Amino acid sequence: MNIPAKKIYRGLLLIGCFLASSVSANVAPAEPAAAAAASTAPAVVMVEETEARKSTSTADHSKFEELKKNFKNGPEVTKACLTCHTEAAQQVHSTKHWTWEFLNPATKQKLGKKNIINNFCTSVTSNQTFCSACHVGYGWSDDKFDFTSENNVDCVVCHDTTGKYKKLPGLSGHPNYEVMEWPPHSGKFREPTDLKTIAQKVGKTSRATCGACHFYGGGGDAVKHGDLDSSLKEPQKYLDVHMDAKGLDFSCGKCHLSDSHEVSGSRYAPTAVDDNGALMRGDKGDRNPTTCVACHGKAPHPPGTAAVEKLNSHTDKIACQTCHIPAYARGNKATKMTWDWSTAGKLDEEGHRIQKRGSDGNVIYDSKKGDFTFERYVIPEYVWFNGEVKFTLFGDKVDTNNVVKINEFQGSAGDPDSRIWPVKTFRGKQPYDVGNETLGVFHTAGGDDSAFWGNYDWDKAMAWGMKAMGVEYSGEMVFVETEMSWPITHMVAPKEDALKCDQCHRENGRLQNIGGVYMPGTNNTPMLDWLGYAAALMALIGVLIHGGIRYYMSKRG
Amino acid sequence: MKYIIGALAMLVLVAVIALTQAQNLMFNITPSPYGVEETAARIQENIQRMEGRGWALSGLRNPAAAVAASGSNVPPVLLVEACSTKYSGPLLKIENSRIYSILMPCTITVYKNDDGSTSIGTMNAGLMGWLFGISDIMDEVFADQQAFITFDPSRPAPPLIKGRPGGGGGDGKPEAGC
Repeated sequence: MNIPAKKIYRGLLLIGCFLASSVSANVAPAEPAAAAAASTAPAVVMVEETEARKSTSTADHSKFEELKKNFKNGPEVTKACLTCHTEAAQQVHSTKHWTWEFLNPATKQKLGKKNIINNFCTSVTSNQTFCSACHVGYGWSDDKFDFTSENNVDCVVCHDTTGKYKKLPGLSGHPNYEVMEWPPHSGKFREPTDLKTIAQKVGKTSRATCGACHFYGGGGDAVKHGDLDSSLKEPQKYLDVHMDAKGLDFSCGKCHLSDSHEVSGSRYAPTAVDDNGALMRGDKGDRNPTTCVACHGKAPHPPGTAAVEKLNSHTDKIACQTCHIPAYARGNKATKMTWDWSTAGKLDEEGHRIQKRGSDGNVIYDSKKGDFTFERYVIPEYVWFNGEVKFTLFGDKVDTNNVVKINEFQGSAGDPDSRIWPVKTFRGKQPYDVGNETLGVFHTAGGDDSAFWGNYDWDKAMAWGMKAMGVEYSGEMVFVETEMSWPITHMVAPKEDALKCDQCHRENGRLQNIGGVYMPGTNNTPMLDWLGYAAALMALIGVLIHGGIRYYMSKRG
Repeated sequence: MKYIIGALAMLVLVAVIALTQAQNLMFNITPSPYGVEETAARIQENIQRMEGRGWALSGLRNPAAAVAASGSNVPPVLLVEACSTKYSGPLLKIENSRIYSILMPCTITVYKNDDGSTSIGTMNAGLMGWLFGISDIMDEVFADQQAFITFDPSRPAPPLIKGRPGGGGGDGKPEAGC
């Protein structure tokens, strides 16, 4: 084959021109896909290693005689902690992290993990042995748990700095005190928890300690929230400008200021609008310090051009997060987007549990849990939100002909306290007790014969779960479609990556489903367009006629 | 004079058309019903099934990761690379056509759009062939490319094959397929 040189040059020249507008990306080896998240564990898998941070404490806990004992269990450690921190346990007793209860002052709904039903693992009730792996206490296995016991408070789970402390699902909030195979049937064994060393190295909370539960909500890494996952343990700047490990390096507590162990910030009653301006250090008011405004003030964009002023004026309708968190699950961990319980229970031909993984390595089917879908770099959905969230609770009548909203964000365009917020909306199918006309509570995990993860028998699991709620199971269940939303507030991108005007102000833009407000550029009025075109055409015709006449007259002399 | 003006006007018109239509001419964009990872994995699977036509995977690249490492955000993008000795061999044998190695390996891009959908981008191999006078080869490449991006929904999602299965090429090891 002999090709004329000029053909080559012609082709390459054209390619050069055409490729100018194409992507010219740096390359790198493909990163590993998100780790397989939904394991056999129903609750959390604790964070592995954590980077020991330089302590600035004035106390070296390894020098304390009380902490030089060979502790047999967690409560013994707590007892030692309380010899100095005498009021700590009582402070913890009044927090949501302990009670798992929250009374919404606006709606009077009794919320908290103990009371709500979600569309992930659905309900804590009847499953405490597993769920309490994320409780700041020891021994919560049923409704007889002593919430008044000081020694049952788990200090270490929040104050560990070694990364060696793990509360495994199924141990009622305890770490393992003996050699234990983990994960189950894996052939891997965990040594007994070295409580003495851990107790001697306690310190401030960190992203790793908070993340040990909050990164793994819903049954695995990145599963529940979408804006919280283990990639935030040591994040790069692109993922979160505040937590950037080589930059500002915020711990969770930097924003979620705590007072007497009560941590600020709530997903049950979020602060949708903060009109207070920047928070003065030492301010003892009852406002939530965990807002963007509390640091950045009410006019966060430095004054200058009209365009910048426009950004500041947008804050009367738009939450900061809407522009500054353009997508969530950006840390190379896919978040779970759907969960269909109705397909759970299928077994292979030999009667064994089935697990299937998707192309990214995430489990997309599990006999124990049903079908899932995952996604990373997710564009949020957007809603008007005034801070009030109404939940569908156990016993509430629901319309099964429509999608049941587990929670519903309140707000509207006409409400001055509403802003447009980004949310993750999680969709699922979950049990519904037909006779009792309520969302179902079922027993998932445990060593008994009624746990669904042991026998795959919905009726037995429902009977146990409903009984634990104080109701007799009607004997008839179906699966209903549900939705639950979560505000997106973490993974704040660098300002250069904030949304640009035309990502909303265009046809089918980001806010296309937001009603009640006019957004320039999002639509057009055909009549007005035609009037414009007609005016332009008439002007052109006028110019041509005028020019033509002048030309004609000049020719005539 | 009027002929010169007319010719210039025509040239301008052609240039405008070429510039505005360049992307459509040079690249084909196809929507995918799957996410980025699954789309890339299904393309890889299709490529492997065409081993009989000399095709082999030569790599999977993630340009978005490099951008993230530099501190910025871009949606997921994966580049599936493959090469076929059946097509590369004849081109590489002849000095005049060896320059076309710049197009090797064949790259298919899979990326996420701002609305969350997934697109597949391929180079218009047919047009390339016509431009460079190698239609005999590039027409076949074009047909194979179409097969790469035609999916069978009845097949389960395959695992994504990561890295560079054929080695780096520059270290003396053969690049798969080329």
